Amino acid sequence: MNLDPITTELVASSLLYASEEMGIAVRDAAYSANIKERLDHSCALFDARGRLIAQAEHIPVHLGSLPWGLRRTLAWLVEHGRPIAAGEMIVVNNPYLSGTHLNDVTVIRAIYRDDRLIGYAANKAHHTDVGGSVPGSMPPNARDLFAEGFVMPPTVLVRDDQIVDTTVDLLRANSRTPDMRTGDIRAQVAGNNVGERRFLDLIERYGIEVVETATEKSLDDGERRTRAALRDFPDGIVEQQDVLEDENGDPSIVLRVRLEKRGDSLTLDYTGTAPQREMPLNAVYGVTLSGVYYAIRAVTDPHIPMNDGSFRPIEVRVPEGTILNPRPPAPVSAGNVETSMRNADLVLSALAHLAPGRIPAQSGGSMNNIMIGGTDLTGKSWTFYETNGCGMGARPNADGIDAIHAHMTNTLNTPIEVIERELPLLVTRYEFAEKSAGAGHYRGGCGLVRGFALREGSATVSLLAERHVARPCGVKGGGDGVPGRHVLVTADGKERAIPAKTTIVLHSGDAVVLQTAGGGGYGDPFDRDHVAIKRDIADEVAIHFDESLERF
Amino acid sequence: MRNPLQTYRVGIDIGGTFTDLVALADDGQLIRHKVASTPQKLEDGLLNAFRTLLADVPPENVAVVAHASTIATNALLGQVHLELPRVAFVTTEGFRDVLEIGRQNRSAIYDLGVTRPKPLARREDRLTVRERRGHDGGVIVALDRESVDGVVATLREREISAIAVGLLHSDIDGSHERSIAAAIAKALPDADISLSSEIDPQYREYERFSTTVVNAALLPILRAYLDRVASDVAELGVHAPIFVMRSDGGMSSLATAAQRPATLIESGPASGVIGAAYIGRALGLSNVLSFDMGGTTAKAGTIFGGVPEVSAGFEAAGSTHSGRSVKGSGYPVRFPFVDLAEVSAGGGTIAYLDAAQTLRVGPLSAGADPGPACYGRGERPTVTDANVVLGRLNPRALLDGAFPIHADRARHALETVAAPLDGDVERTAAGIVTLVDAEMAKVLRIVSVERGHDPRDFTILAFGGGGPLHACAVAEEIGVSRIVIPSYPGVFSAYGLLAADVRAVAVRSVVAPANATTWERVLKLFEALAFEADTDLADQAVAKEDRTFTREVDLRYLGQSTDLTVTATDSLEEAVAAFHRRHEQRYGFAALNDPVEIATVRIVACGATPKPRLIETKLSTPRDPLPEAHREERLVHDGRSYVLTPVYARAALRPNDRFAGPAVVEEYDATTYIGPHWSAHIDAYGNLVLEHAR
Repeated sequence: MNLDPITTELVASSLLYASEEMGIAVRDAAYSANIKERLDHSCALFDARGRLIAQAEHIPVHLGSLPWGLRRTLAWLVEHGRPIAAGEMIVVNNPYLSGTHLNDVTVIRAIYRDDRLIGYAANKAHHTDVGGSVPGSMPPNARDLFAEGFVMPPTVLVRDDQIVDTTVDLLRANSRTPDMRTGDIRAQVAGNNVGERRFLDLIERYGIEVVETATEKSLDDGERRTRAALRDFPDGIVEQQDVLEDENGDPSIVLRVRLEKRGDSLTLDYTGTAPQREMPLNAVYGVTLSGVYYAIRAVTDPHIPMNDGSFRPIEVRVPEGTILNPRPPAPVSAGNVETSMRNADLVLSALAHLAPGRIPAQSGGSMNNIMIGGTDLTGKSWTFYETNGCGMGARPNADGIDAIHAHMTNTLNTPIEVIERELPLLVTRYEFAEKSAGAGHYRGGCGLVRGFALREGSATVSLLAERHVARPCGVKGGGDGVPGRHVLVTADGKERAIPAKTTIVLHSGDAVVLQTAGGGGYGDPFDRDHVAIKRDIADEVAIHFDESLERF
Repeated sequence: MRNPLQTYRVGIDIGGTFTDLVALADDGQLIRHKVASTPQKLEDGLLNAFRTLLADVPPENVAVVAHASTIATNALLGQVHLELPRVAFVTTEGFRDVLEIGRQNRSAIYDLGVTRPKPLARREDRLTVRERRGHDGGVIVALDRESVDGVVATLREREISAIAVGLLHSDIDGSHERSIAAAIAKALPDADISLSSEIDPQYREYERFSTTVVNAALLPILRAYLDRVASDVAELGVHAPIFVMRSDGGMSSLATAAQRPATLIESGPASGVIGAAYIGRALGLSNVLSFDMGGTTAKAGTIFGGVPEVSAGFEAAGSTHSGRSVKGSGYPVRFPFVDLAEVSAGGGTIAYLDAAQTLRVGPLSAGADPGPACYGRGERPTVTDANVVLGRLNPRALLDGAFPIHADRARHALETVAAPLDGDVERTAAGIVTLVDAEMAKVLRIVSVERGHDPRDFTILAFGGGGPLHACAVAEEIGVSRIVIPSYPGVFSAYGLLAADVRAVAVRSVVAPANATTWERVLKLFEALAFEADTDLADQAVAKEDRTFTREVDLRYLGQSTDLTVTATDSLEEAVAAFHRRHEQRYGFAALNDPVEIATVRIVACGATPKPRLIETKLSTPRDPLPEAHREERLVHDGRSYVLTPVYARAALRPNDRFAGPAVVEEYDATTYIGPHWSAHIDAYGNLVLEHAR
């Protein structure tokens, strides 16, 4: 079928718009602050073959993992002889199938028209608690997946367009905050319904053949544009490595990549990456893909349609049994929040060798997760989950940004006045970590400092962070960012350093204080503009860089 | 000849390209003027427009002046000659950077060069005092005098006079903020101090702080501007009271507006919707979509039962993506605003080929300078150029012949992007218009479908320079079958200024379960807020009998964090029932058994003003337009091919003149294109009404 380019463009943009509208439906109907306030969810539409045709720009770590998870889940369903029927939705959180970690619950709807399967609407949302050994379901000391919570295989959530209560009950029974689960799951169902409706509207309007042809063309368009962008990079082979910090805080876990750029395609081979471990830094293959796709998208053209076609020119090989492609039942909760960040750093650093002058210095390199939970004086369980921004790495022509989410996440913070109204917590500080940025012609961004005190009772707090030892690197003579740190301030005022990854019990009046890593600097600090140096000093954010100050 | 006893109400809307003036006489006659805006000194454009009016109208006959301006937005966007003052922000110790961290997200996820809006109070000038309240308003750390003295000394030393104060939980108890303000005022009597507990007493610290700092930053600029407007207008001999349009579609007196500049940011766009609501009420339309397309953007809003939808806040000077505001791209201002979805699609929007040689339109705009290629200076093809090639816009001249059009330049510009359609300029032009129509249909969807309304139940009111040209296609796209093009669509926002009431809003956070105990507290709060709002209206010289008050309450299910606003009576049950209904309508479900929480209560006070009189003509039987209304026949592209199409002069069309599409209606400030499946007539008020043949 010959289709004019205008119709192709209209169909593609309508599908993208539909996926965005799905995201708004999920946000609006959700109950938990994590989805409603922090927007920790992603939505996408797929064709009948399970190929991604539109994904809303929500969270980068869901970029490759959602399509990978959808294909895996569909394959599993076929294998088990139960494809998704009309009027049905499937819920799944087994990360080895659905693609991230147990908290990310995926809901999939098959879209039919007159008994013919035409595609899928799917979304993934982070549920703050899905059981496991600690509130928030991301125990830093987990040795297997089962310690991280309730594992749900692909299960029928909606049948004949009615929510199956027993499935919801199962989720509720395995969560410390069951009411939030019901509300959030309902929101996810609403999101997929919107996706289905819009997809069908489009077919109603243009006819199935036009939509299919247009979709095919837009997949090809995605591929063509990615290839065109890749041609801009010189050919070459780069080997690069970076590290994660193990359970003792040692930067011993090596991630290694061999990146080969030839013509208009790219191959990444992770041979030499550390074996999987009995701790939660393992990242399932879908998460590894996300890190790669994010990096490529950021250095090429962010306007390339985000679909299956745009991924075609990129091949990612990861040996099984490594920390970037583990086998079950390795625990994986920190794979998408921490390991994915390091993987993005790794791929960006490799690309920087090919195209110097286009890639920023390293950012704080961690989502700095904090989970606190307990039982309040009325006996009700509560859970709080939040990721914290870091210092952004300096850019080739601009400073990094202070205290902001970098790379693989972009979730919002929860307002202090919301936290304090709803939970027995008191926020003690929320400001830049002064002098934490890497110096440079352009300086990195400062990390942030945030403290949480427990007002009453006791609670369990889990911290999961990176870059407490290995510093975010500066480039071209720029200084490294200052690593992060965690401090426990007990009710009697005593301070003590605590590890990057730990679970501790807080008693009334105790506080934990997080400092997140600063970003690396770009270029020689001696080249920094005097006005900018003056401003750094006045703003009290300047890095300790004595020579520069003396000269000034 | 003008009647020498006639008095006039004058609306002046300063937009990015044009400054529009509408003067409405007691007898309903309307005078309009369009002059170029003067971005360097906006009041010059206003005065130019005024002088043109005063050539015909004695200054003492001007009864009232209503004004809307883009000055606040321009200042926040960093326009030259509108430099913002150095602003200090005084806040709770330990929270110095809340204002800059914002919601810790970046506004573009995949852009490694992303920027954060420049903080209006830089870190050096964010000063902290030792104090802390808890969420219940209780004092955890008492206000430390020494740290206050330190702040005052610093402010004095730095000679900063634009000051914002925002402390944690000050929405519950603002006494610490007031103590700090008193200390500053004592030492620096000329300082302008904005307190978060007064500017925006609602919880969520970042939005409250941001609103307060935006207010502090705009205050000196807006006060100086409004002072100049007042004195310049007085110099022309006009001594009428001046009112300023606010973002929520209400009017403030000049003095009140100067104190609360954060309320004025979206004044221009709001006035168009107020006008649309007014016309909609006159025509008895219960559901109206306003569709305003100008040179660079298209905006859509919803109006129910004559009342525009208003939302609780927005990001000033931020960017949008497909009609939705991009979080973290601007400065949050939590003040009600007429909720418009906006997209970068206007007459000046540029068409181009992307890396894959696909034809795309926008968001880049040729703006007023260089403007579309057919205006004579620009080189790149725009939506206006496409409309000229399609014959929908007059290919020789606009503005009744005063503004020449270079159709050949439009064709040449389009040739540069015609490759994907095999060099076919006409099909390329049609493609560009189709793409931009689809883009604009999205904003209409956002304000209807996404809010749970069926667009088929609506009438589109189209205005702005481009609204009438694209209304039919956009209506078809979303299934609307009725369009109203008001008289003078090109200066309609200025007209809307004359239809607005004076408004005052008083608000408080509550955040408590919706039960009888809370409701008792809420009813008392309503009384206190009504008193506040009443005083506000009295200060603006609104007569007692013209004041009305509406109670609003923002509700949500316990555990949710976004609320829905419903109007309230004395009955809690009614408010809760209304909330369930709204939730069902907007989000597709109501959780009737879930506990409901009261988040915020609000009094919206309204001071009625005299409205423009619409002249109703007795309708004759349906008739054909007069021969003199028939300007010409020209080839106009209907989306498929060129068709010989009649062109009418709107000024010569009479009530109940009827004709079928395809047709073009030209008037001084706008052109209407009527598609093949549409019929048109002029109603009793002179509106051009289009109906889709089903």
